[in-house]
Amino acid sequence: MANFLYLSPEWAEEGHKRAVAELTPEKLHHVTSSMTNIYKNCPDGKEHYFHVAFEDGKVKAFETGEGEGPKGEFKIIADYETFAKISRAELGAVRALTSRKLTLRGNMAKALRLAPLVDKLNKILAGIPTDF
Amino acid sequence: MPEYNSNDPYAVDIDKRISDIQSAMHERDIDVYLGSRIRTMSFITDAFVPWRSYIVIPAEGLPTIFTFVIDCARLLSETWMDEDHVRGYFGAGGAEQIDTIQYFIEEELDIKKGRLGYETGMATYTAEGWLTHYEFERFSEALPGFEFINAHDIVDGASLIKDEGTINRFREAGRIVDAGQRAAREAIENGGWKGMTETELGGIAALAMRREGSVSEWNFAGLNEISSGWRTGLGACTPPTTKEFAAGEALMFDLHAMFKLALGDHSHNYLLTPATERQRWHADNFVACVQFVADSYRAGTTPGDLITECGKFAEERGCADFILPGVEHGIGLFGDEWRVGASMDVPIPYWTDPDHVYQENEMVILAMQYAAAEDDVGFRYENPIVIKKDGCELTSKYPLAIEEIS
Repeated sequence: MANFLYLSPEWAEEGHKRAVAELTPEKLHHVTSSMTNIYKNCPDGKEHYFHVAFEDGKVKAFETGEGEGPKGEFKIIADYETFAKISRAELGAVRALTSRKLTLRGNMAKALRLAPLVDKLNKILAGIPTDF
Repeated sequence: MPEYNSNDPYAVDIDKRISDIQSAMHERDIDVYLGSRIRTMSFITDAFVPWRSYIVIPAEGLPTIFTFVIDCARLLSETWMDEDHVRGYFGAGGAEQIDTIQYFIEEELDIKKGRLGYETGMATYTAEGWLTHYEFERFSEALPGFEFINAHDIVDGASLIKDEGTINRFREAGRIVDAGQRAAREAIENGGWKGMTETELGGIAALAMRREGSVSEWNFAGLNEISSGWRTGLGACTPPTTKEFAAGEALMFDLHAMFKLALGDHSHNYLLTPATERQRWHADNFVACVQFVADSYRAGTTPGDLITECGKFAEERGCADFILPGVEHGIGLFGDEWRVGASMDVPIPYWTDPDHVYQENEMVILAMQYAAAEDDVGFRYENPIVIKKDGCELTSKYPLAIEEIS
């Protein structure tokens, strides 16, 4: 099977499919929240986004695209390379946050509470064969 | 917004507190208020906020507090505010204090410019919570569209007159402090004071008060304040030391409790035997002066009136040289323990306005100090009082006296 191009529509479709299949409302503690990652300094010179939203633990939105994307409860901003390193498990998200490589916008206390759920999603996305 | 429960003797009207503040903001054309003082957190969140925190109050809508993220869950469990209005900050990109609040004001509240009220000034204790110079500069840079206006007197004015629930909390805090005083007395009587230090006595009283429901001895001040011997002669009752009590000395036990943010505060005095005639004369003078002042408080009087009348009374007794000037200090919820009144237009900024006219249901600490340094003896009295139309109510009921303990 060929690899998916990171952040491409095909990558998003595969991620969406896997998230719906593997993340049940129970596993997600029926969370209602949303997050938009904004990728700066992408290889194509443009800004890209990855947006995901959950309602009562169900995946309601899962998309990528150019620009800032839909508004989420949390906004996470970083260079493309930083997100790529996190996705490849070469850089921890906390290390990226505390070294200011990654900027979090939104309710920090709530973000910390939801962090384990985001980890579950990241593990699923890390399983997608991806070309960065 | 919490429902005001009139059946709860300790209920306070948070809705009114916020609308009073927002009305004052409208009067001054302030678009957003950035509170940083402990007293401001107490008044609005109705919860114990000991970590460095900031509260953002828009001209309309609910306030949002930002505290150190490790205390968010505990604060959320104690305040009326919901998770969306109890936020944390942390040393991470976009999540530290300045970034978090700038983003919240500009992006979530969508206020990009206007007048921003903040809190600066001075006080006698470190942890008042004024915005620091560094914070002011950083916020000014992060929020370039705003004119910063010192507006802490908005909160001071809104919190001046206490409602029934708040006064009941002070009454309960007074009951707790009295339990602490009883435990302290039991600990020192019948020779129990021998070998005991000021710090140990402070701890004994603290435990007794915690068992009665107190949650703090005021970590913004000197905790329980105990002094003995020569230090009493300075009229001082500041933090306890490791000095041991000794025969023939005066003791000051200034105990602090906190119940639902209301501050219990009663200072009581003893003489350890053998007391000299001179010590007894000083003690009797002090008790008489405190009683005179307690009998003089009522709505319509001013701090200036009271100190003048007290001075005359002390003069008649021949002890005016020993009474330190001042018969009160301000009191409110946790973090609010200094000047009387709310006005910034006073003769000596950030000190009590001598012309402040007391109103019914205002509270102050009846606080008096007596210093006879040459005799190594002195006393301090403190008791939160509620100003009434024709008098005042003492919240600590511990009997006014200076007993001799053997």
